[in-house]
Amino acid sequence: MPDAFSSPNQVRESLRDQGYVCSSEIATIPYLSDQLDKPLLIEGPAGVGKTELAKVVAAATGRELIRLQCYEGLDETKALYEWEYAKQLLYTQLLRDKLQEVLASAGSLAESADRIAAEENVFFSMRFLLQRPLLKALLSPEPVVLLIDEIDRADAEFEAFLLEILSDFQISVPELGTLTARVQPLVFLTSNNTRELSEALKRRCLYLFLNYPELEQEIDVVNLKVPELDGALTRQAVEMVQGLRNLDLRKHPSISETLDWARTLVVLNADRLDSGLVSDTLNVLLKHERDLKRVQQRLEPMSGDGPEYQGPEDEDDQTRYL
Amino acid sequence: METRLMQFARALRAAGVPVSMAETVDAAGALTALGIKDREPFRISLRSTLIKRTIHLPVFDELFPIFFDGKAELPPDMDNALDNLSEEEAEQLALALRQLKDDIADSLRRLLRGEPLTRQDLNQLAAMTGLDRARNMRWNEWMVRRMQAALKHDSVRRAMEEIAKLLGQVGFSKERLDELREMLQANIEAETGQLQNFAGQRITDNMQARPPSEDVEDLLHAPFGRLGEDEMNVLRQEVRRLSAALRSRISLRQKRQKTGTLDLKSTIRRNLGHGGVPFTLSYKRRQKKPRLVVICDVSTSMRYCTELMLGLIHAMQDQISRTYAFAFNDHLEYITPDLAHGSAQEAVDRVLVRMPPGHYSTDLGGSLAEFDREWLDLVNHRTTLLMVGDGRNNFRDPETGIFQEMARRCTRTIWLNPEPPMLWGTGDSDMNEYLPFCDHVLQVQTMAELTAAVDELLTR
Repeated sequence: MPDAFSSPNQVRESLRDQGYVCSSEIATIPYLSDQLDKPLLIEGPAGVGKTELAKVVAAATGRELIRLQCYEGLDETKALYEWEYAKQLLYTQLLRDKLQEVLASAGSLAESADRIAAEENVFFSMRFLLQRPLLKALLSPEPVVLLIDEIDRADAEFEAFLLEILSDFQISVPELGTLTARVQPLVFLTSNNTRELSEALKRRCLYLFLNYPELEQEIDVVNLKVPELDGALTRQAVEMVQGLRNLDLRKHPSISETLDWARTLVVLNADRLDSGLVSDTLNVLLKHERDLKRVQQRLEPMSGDGPEYQGPEDEDDQTRYL
Repeated sequence: METRLMQFARALRAAGVPVSMAETVDAAGALTALGIKDREPFRISLRSTLIKRTIHLPVFDELFPIFFDGKAELPPDMDNALDNLSEEEAEQLALALRQLKDDIADSLRRLLRGEPLTRQDLNQLAAMTGLDRARNMRWNEWMVRRMQAALKHDSVRRAMEEIAKLLGQVGFSKERLDELREMLQANIEAETGQLQNFAGQRITDNMQARPPSEDVEDLLHAPFGRLGEDEMNVLRQEVRRLSAALRSRISLRQKRQKTGTLDLKSTIRRNLGHGGVPFTLSYKRRQKKPRLVVICDVSTSMRYCTELMLGLIHAMQDQISRTYAFAFNDHLEYITPDLAHGSAQEAVDRVLVRMPPGHYSTDLGGSLAEFDREWLDLVNHRTTLLMVGDGRNNFRDPETGIFQEMARRCTRTIWLNPEPPMLWGTGDSDMNEYLPFCDHVLQVQTMAELTAAVDELLTR
């Protein structure tokens, strides 16, 4: 298989061309994953661009992205393949005459059974195999990017079932034998860490922990995606978001929410951040009632010029869950 | 490089990071792909191949410089402060040094000359400060401080001031003295760096020499009361592993077990492919995830049991639709909010800070009465009531009436008691009074028994 990338730097540049800003570390690991033919497991808080990374890698390499969204109860018939019973049934009906013909000259019952057995592989062939994302990724003649999204939502058994695919890039279908990948896909797995993944799965993957970006990097992202926003304002806005991430909130604002906010500011024609504006648009950043109240309380003492955000202060209100 | 990599993997393992053979091979592969010339790609290759859990990243960041920055082997750069002195000045300095106690004068002279510690010196220090026995990175700083104390860095600094006064009187210029002082300071810092590297290196060596014990199996069967802190740590890890295993076993069992009545609609739908012939049957499935009310005794004797029990419950929260945890000693407290943040251990520590074990008298009856007043509505037909405690009540009213009412309202009552049945009813134990109302009373004295109890709790 031709390698997707020639060097870590090239990864970084081509991702940047796709509008994805990342550190050299984040660029190096997909390169390694490609070189070693190992799946890449990406973990990190929600909204830091885990899924996005897989998407832009697909776009940067010009490969098709095949995505498998995991959920509780996902099983191999949804993820891998399924026999198309209805189609099989339809074909047996349609081919009835032909079958009669084949069977007509048979002398004994045993002979007819043999003849039908000889035709069996017509019905258990790729024709009747409904390809689900994983099989599609393996059988694709072109190299693809396979994204197994939010693997932590699937059940633990599903992980075990992924192992064969992730380590050998092959699938055993009882009726057909083992299907091996024509071209090894680039595999990305993402996890929000809602549960611990099994050691066996982790062992087969490279590991990348994506965290919220540093200040400068996030400013870069906003500049790239929302170029309309004034430079100084961008910095102020990003500083404020970064400040919010230090607070004890139920959900911290993600990068996509920073971008939404930046776009909001553009739409509102804001030229500076004051506490009124911030408090009016805060619901773009924070999606929980409690978080909103909390931050608004902090905002009130602000005298209306600029986000003089004081980092996390001592925890005054111990939240009660009752 | 391979040997170094293997050593690094061993050290990681010793520090509690599971690093498999396959991952080491991957790391070697990654090094081939990215080369080992630049530090950053080198670090990334190792980090992405060897570390697979966020909590292990700090361990990696700590060990990596010790192994690959290569300072430990080389003595640090130190400058000789005496080079710049004129002969006369050197003589005056030597004279001044004579005023000091011998050992401090020697140290000061050595530091001023910028002579690094030799391997032998370091080994001696290690033996003296107990570094040879340290097997945990968290001792690193402490060990460095102890070695610094052994080298009398503080006294040397003070001595320098004294000498500076003397030398000032005999005509050393202020600039010269400042220069001396600065160089001494720089040399002390360099030496501290050397000590830090040495301590880190030595601790990882020690960890490799005696990796954490493998006798987890024995620990599982050791009574809680006899566990030391190290063993508790091993057990805590084991609790995490066990709960993961238990969780998948339970979810499988819940999913596969055939319960409920035949679901006609779904059966027809499923068998459309077979022309309506019902090959596979579907059942109406009503999953009964238990709602759990846990009441835990947090007195000293119960502490380990409580912590591990809560740890296990904490880890399995997604299998239990609702958990309400209470702790009591002389009064009752609702502790679920504590469990919501952080690890079970921290949670239990927090609870224990609020409810310190000590001079109080356990009041089980009173706590039950309090539960009855405030929380009884939590107990309904879906609830499993889990009591964890030894049933010792300091000869107070056991309030069996209330307990009977609670047991009547819930589906099941399980009592986990760390004491052997022989002791029930002796002294202030009211266990025998509660016994008739419990569906199960399990003696839980070891981790293995505790696991079995939780399995029981979630599958019936």
